[in-house]
Amino acid sequence: MPNRPAIVAVGRTKFGEHYEKEPEKLIEEAWLRASEDAGIERKDLEACYLSDYFLPITNKLGLEEGFLSELTELHVPMEVTRSFSSALSNACNAIQAGRYNIVLVGGIEKMTDRWDKIRDDLMLLEDPWSYYAGCTPEANHELMLRAYIRKYGVKGEDLEKLDIALAQVSVKNHLHATKNEYAQYQRKITVEQVLNARKEARKPLGLYDFAPISDGASALILTSDDVAKKFTEKPVHVLGFASATDYLTFPARQDLTRFTVSEIAMKNALKRAGINLWEIQVLEVYDQSTVMEMISLEDLGFCKRGGAWKSIYQSCQDYRGYYEIDGRRLFVNLNGGLKADGNPLGATGGAQIFEVVKQLKGEAGERQVMIDGTPKYGCVLELEGFGTKGYVYILGGTSS
Amino acid sequence: MSSEPIERRVSYLGDRLKGCRCLICGKEYFEIRDYCGSCGRKSFGKMANIDLFYDKGVLEVCTLVNEPTNKFTKLGSYVYGIVSFHNGKIRVPCRLTDRMIRQGEEIDFSAFEGREVVPRFRRRYSVDRSDIIPTISLAFTFADEYYPHQEYAVVKPNKDYDAPGIVGYGVYTSKFRIKEGNITRSVPFVDEDAITAAVEAGKLALIHSGVDSELVGKVYVGSESNPYAVKPIASKVAQVLKLGEEDEGVQGVDAVDTEFACKAATSMFKDAASLVNYPANIQYSMVIGADNSQAAPRDCPGGELDLFVGFGGCAYIFGKTDLIAEIEGWYSCTSDTPDFWRRDGEPFPMHGGRFTGDPAYFKHIRKAAKKLMERLGLKPSDINYFVAHQPNVQFPVRIAKELGFKEEQYLPSLQVANFGNTYSGSSPVGLAAVLDIAKPEERILIVSYGSGAGSDAYSLITTSQIIEKRNRQKMPVAYQAQNPFLEYVDYTTYRRLKLGM
Repeated sequence: MPNRPAIVAVGRTKFGEHYEKEPEKLIEEAWLRASEDAGIERKDLEACYLSDYFLPITNKLGLEEGFLSELTELHVPMEVTRSFSSALSNACNAIQAGRYNIVLVGGIEKMTDRWDKIRDDLMLLEDPWSYYAGCTPEANHELMLRAYIRKYGVKGEDLEKLDIALAQVSVKNHLHATKNEYAQYQRKITVEQVLNARKEARKPLGLYDFAPISDGASALILTSDDVAKKFTEKPVHVLGFASATDYLTFPARQDLTRFTVSEIAMKNALKRAGINLWEIQVLEVYDQSTVMEMISLEDLGFCKRGGAWKSIYQSCQDYRGYYEIDGRRLFVNLNGGLKADGNPLGATGGAQIFEVVKQLKGEAGERQVMIDGTPKYGCVLELEGFGTKGYVYILGGTSS
Repeated sequence: MSSEPIERRVSYLGDRLKGCRCLICGKEYFEIRDYCGSCGRKSFGKMANIDLFYDKGVLEVCTLVNEPTNKFTKLGSYVYGIVSFHNGKIRVPCRLTDRMIRQGEEIDFSAFEGREVVPRFRRRYSVDRSDIIPTISLAFTFADEYYPHQEYAVVKPNKDYDAPGIVGYGVYTSKFRIKEGNITRSVPFVDEDAITAAVEAGKLALIHSGVDSELVGKVYVGSESNPYAVKPIASKVAQVLKLGEEDEGVQGVDAVDTEFACKAATSMFKDAASLVNYPANIQYSMVIGADNSQAAPRDCPGGELDLFVGFGGCAYIFGKTDLIAEIEGWYSCTSDTPDFWRRDGEPFPMHGGRFTGDPAYFKHIRKAAKKLMERLGLKPSDINYFVAHQPNVQFPVRIAKELGFKEEQYLPSLQVANFGNTYSGSSPVGLAAVLDIAKPEERILIVSYGSGAGSDAYSLITTSQIIEKRNRQKMPVAYQAQNPFLEYVDYTTYRRLKLGM
């Protein structure tokens, strides 16, 4: 990919319940951390790309650009999209086109300000007919699992293993989060807890299978390759990125056991990055549910269709910090994933990028992964809705 | 706040489950489209409308919802899933209805998946009392349970009659019951009301009659429990059942609600029959009586009714072809007798206690029955079946005996002990029970009663076609009364279900 954009700084808040903070406090916090990191002044910014899903609903903030302008006292071009990945992809396009050299990408969400209605709000990301028929934010994940079990004829002992494998996804992510000071849940859970919550709910998935409702913000500074060195010794480059779109209506999709968007976006992103799939060592997937993490491993091509649960199950029998897939190591959701790190929708993608950037720079502290030195390549998958949109970013560190 | 334009659009598609099929590639869509996504421009004008209202689907996958979104909380826990039609060509989201998930009940999803389901017309979710009531047919029940799948086949009429009469009928009661002492009563599921019952009854009548719904020129819906004070049930029935020809978003049918306590429907039989006899362009007319019969809780004034009220609907189609029963004559009488009433804005009716008996029910039924028999020169022995309004078991038995009818003449119609008093549907359900079993050339005397007060008496004579049409209907009255899938609820649940969403 020509004229690769560079991430020169990242910042974020802790995810969780920030009852006492206004949304602007959160984005300010994330931006300040990023700017301090790179020694950037707000006047350096040539444009801002902000993402949030629900600020107009949760906080009655309709024209978020104006609110960001007041906050930064900047009058530069600003655009608002839903996911952090969509904001970042606009920013990347602008940098690549040579329009700007330094831009801010930020994401924010304040979901707990409407805790009693937020599950209804989340239905805005599903098709209206599903909502009218009684769908919930969780239901499609469970239906996908049911479809998966039926398609691959998983039964008996295998079904038990699959159930445990999904529980292990959650347990593993919680374990990772214990080393993440920004994570919403920095505590371990057990497979039994996950299974008991399902039993209590009498459903295929329970409380511990789903990412929580969160507040939080994340930010990064994106520059052109030329100016990156001014701000950091170790810029992380966006080597390739791509997105894809699918029907809003989950029931109307051809295959209920995959997210086509992830498949397409990964293929295109790899092509643009010019690397092979297995050169990727660290991966952040969009685990809104444990099923999503499992399916994503298949969608992105790391596991065979219908086989991801086996790799997860085997890797987690004696978990060593990574999934072992056909003898190869894949470090997945090192920040704790959406499950334990938190899922403030508009900021979530920023936290995923944050993690990969930190890993590639060797700045992930206790969480740092070392494979003959810091990892070279990392990958982020962010979804919008239930697989309606998918964004893949392939990032490369200085050694790449 | 509801959005009227959105309600119109959603219910227009969702009540009937309208879709379309590309005539080029065969791809099917839920919702109406002008062109096929795969075929593009060349498919303009080549999209055929289809609907799934009379179809059956397969529940592909399902899960349990026990933390619904805010508007669905009155449903408690429910099974939610995906239903496919036409071998997976169309898939739609689905809520299983008519199923109460009990506390702690384990659901084996794999036992549900793969089974055939039938779309049911129901309330969509809860709204404020001042809002438009949202409806939808993305509610489903299993085809191998209480409500079987029935094809709607339009049958070309082959016999004309001189006098108008009944062409077909349908009875709908829910699968829920409350049993207290020797009376069992039907109870709506929480997403049912008089509107949904009217549509169901009308649907079953169309199926039984084989009449082309486009040829129905007028529909009357009698009810005293319309959830709207202003807005007809009949317009919903006309729209959902596609009565009259559809033309640019309107149905070529006259639709009106009527109200006269429990005789709101029977009163219109003669009007419906007269209309099809009038040399105009109305070939068929439909009369529906449907009620989620109201009663105050037991310890409140008017609460005595709470021991008797039922739920259900009954529809009759009148015409002059392929009759199952001809109308021989009628007589109606009226007096201003305030024995039962409900003031505007009040949720429950009041009644006049013992005054509802002799000076009200008996006086009017007696008069109407005697007068009609006198006019037609009939003795009780000339009549095979006697049907009376059934507010309880005692009243219809007493008047039947007084008029000189024997048990074999009045017992077949006595359905109150099976369904409770279905108000506007009460005597019509009794008549349906008789039509279910009557032989050709038998005479039926039906006398309704409506508080306020008045009675309508009709004499009907069955035709030979009553037999051939019988197997078109899989849900006769006896099937609904004695069914292995009936679900009995306790008093508290009954009150909750009746109150609805």
